[in-house]
Amino acid sequence: MGKSSFLGEETIALHSGYQPDPSYGSRAVPIYQTTSYVFESVDEGASLFNIEKGGHIYSRITNPTVAVLEQRIAALEGGTGAVCTASGMSALFVAFITLCSAGDHIVSAAQIYGSTATLLRYTLKRFDIGCTFVAINDPDALKEAIQENTKLVFCESIGNPGLEVSDLPAISNIAHERGLPVVVDATFATPSLCRPFEHGADIIVHSITKWMGGHGVAIGGVIVDGGAFDWGKYGKHPTLTEPYEPFHGISFWEEYGPSALVMRIRSESMRDLGPSMSPHTAFLLLQGIETLSLRMQQHVENAKQLTRWLLEQGLVTWVNHPDLPDNPTHRVAERLFPKGAGSILCFGVKGGRDGGGAFMDALVLSSNLANVGDSRTLVLHPASTTHSRLSDEEMKATGTSPDLIRVSVGIENIADIIKDFKGGLKAVERLLK
Amino acid sequence: MILTVNNEKAFVATGGQVFDNSKPTVVFVHGSGLDHRFWTLQTRWFAFHGYSVFAPDLPGHSLSAGVPLDSIEAMGKWLVAALDSAGVDSIHLIGHSSGFLIALEAASRLDSRLKTLTAVASAESIPVNEDLIVIAESSASAGADLMLKWGFGSKTQLGVSAVPGMQPIAISRQIMSDNPLAIDLRACRDYAASNAMLNKLNCPTNVILASEDKMTPCKFGLELATRLGANVSQIDDSGHFLPIESPKKTLDAIKSFIGKHTD
Repeated sequence: MGKSSFLGEETIALHSGYQPDPSYGSRAVPIYQTTSYVFESVDEGASLFNIEKGGHIYSRITNPTVAVLEQRIAALEGGTGAVCTASGMSALFVAFITLCSAGDHIVSAAQIYGSTATLLRYTLKRFDIGCTFVAINDPDALKEAIQENTKLVFCESIGNPGLEVSDLPAISNIAHERGLPVVVDATFATPSLCRPFEHGADIIVHSITKWMGGHGVAIGGVIVDGGAFDWGKYGKHPTLTEPYEPFHGISFWEEYGPSALVMRIRSESMRDLGPSMSPHTAFLLLQGIETLSLRMQQHVENAKQLTRWLLEQGLVTWVNHPDLPDNPTHRVAERLFPKGAGSILCFGVKGGRDGGGAFMDALVLSSNLANVGDSRTLVLHPASTTHSRLSDEEMKATGTSPDLIRVSVGIENIADIIKDFKGGLKAVERLLK
Repeated sequence: MILTVNNEKAFVATGGQVFDNSKPTVVFVHGSGLDHRFWTLQTRWFAFHGYSVFAPDLPGHSLSAGVPLDSIEAMGKWLVAALDSAGVDSIHLIGHSSGFLIALEAASRLDSRLKTLTAVASAESIPVNEDLIVIAESSASAGADLMLKWGFGSKTQLGVSAVPGMQPIAISRQIMSDNPLAIDLRACRDYAASNAMLNKLNCPTNVILASEDKMTPCKFGLELATRLGANVSQIDDSGHFLPIESPKKTLDAIKSFIGKHTD
């Protein structure tokens, strides 16, 4: 179990990673809008380049504003370190290629975000990194899918959009017995609702565009290292244990131990690929994170109330949320998400695909768009958008159906959200007549 | 590099360079429950600036095999055996916290090979709270939590890190949780030979203090420095875990002292 701070979650969200700067005493984290940093001397510059010392060289690799965000998220998750990236997808890509090389293999949950599925199924395949998709909570299927060349097990803490909660302790036990780390996309959960390192996960990835930011104005991702995985024990990950020529044959595991993964990412992917976050984006995301705990309470409460209301509506054919007893992973959600399993819910209406369309077009307050985790209520029809590149069979495997409407419940007054949804259901009623 | 010391494999970090025993060698000794990674932001600089680096994991710690040693005296002897097996001749010895007591114990056996001795956040003796040992015996991570909560300075407690994106508390906790913390703490508590060892010292000495050190408060470090007639430097805004809390200032304090005593 990780622990980066002895402060409470709300305090970490406001303070961690920053103290008022000594020059001007700025209480807010300043935006260090600079590409580069003056070296004190030639020797100092050389030492920074050779990672003999910590510090900033170039904002593609590190930046003081971004570093505050990284340290704050690492503290919230209980990790040893974090690297922010330009988006959640670049965070996933970087995490995968840091652990995998050509000829390697990933085992992934089948029920995952459409673009992540495409990355694993098609894009990484071009680089000869294979992937097997499994029902992640089926222990036998997971064990069977693991091959000699498997380098990691991937899942989402709450699957998108099927809303199945990954049984992280069970998955981690199986993966660890085979010398594999578990990488979790915890975007739907945030550390406010579930801290995956406490349940056995080894690496956490977020799209911090979503609930972590909450305001829907900035795209960003992060990779957090739990620091507990013993990379040296199994010898399965040469990128961390074998000499790395660009830095005089450094072994990241020997040199950095619990922060080996972050140091490798910083030294390789951020330097060579450059998927960096801008300091202005980091500043915006920091503003959101300051209120994460308060917002998540309201998100979860509104989701519970909207779920209850939808279940009572005759035009609603089904409702899915992990807190509902008929969700197949309800028991897992109770264990891992004691405060509530997030604020995404899915439902279907009478009239199938057309009914869903009528519902969505009638909404006024809620926004039809391809995002989740905004403070505002958002709705989406995955079959025509995020999951449109998947075949019907693939869509089914990811937990999607043609009539599925995904709701990211916002923090507006719940009465106003319900009023908006009533308008949507009236449109369905008109369609059916 | 991997050495064989007392028939067990010992890991020794060399700062990213091939070890060369013909160079003056800077030896870094970690404190209770820690390992060579605690010194990462000092070792690499020395290795690329004309020195050889020798930063071992003590037996039974992190990458070193063997049974953890249960006394400072045994650890000091082991360190000398490790240096002998690497054929090290010119030694600048540095220890953090209880690592300094180990260094002190080794110093008396190194004779003229020892060129300088540096204490980082340490004292002549380091009492250890019995409750802490009891907790560490039942759970190294619970013991580590107590030490880290008490040991790190206020900036680090607020998540500020000298290395961008890192959390020094979590890194230290992870290292300590996997190591024999209780055995180390007991050895530290029981060590009573420092007075005799200090009397034998005849090399230049250096004491580096941390202004917010609650585990080995500055006044005890100053008493040590006074007794030794040592060079003294105090680093502000840092707690007991100086090398990872204030790595650059710690490095500067070490290198300026060693630089004056290197031919």
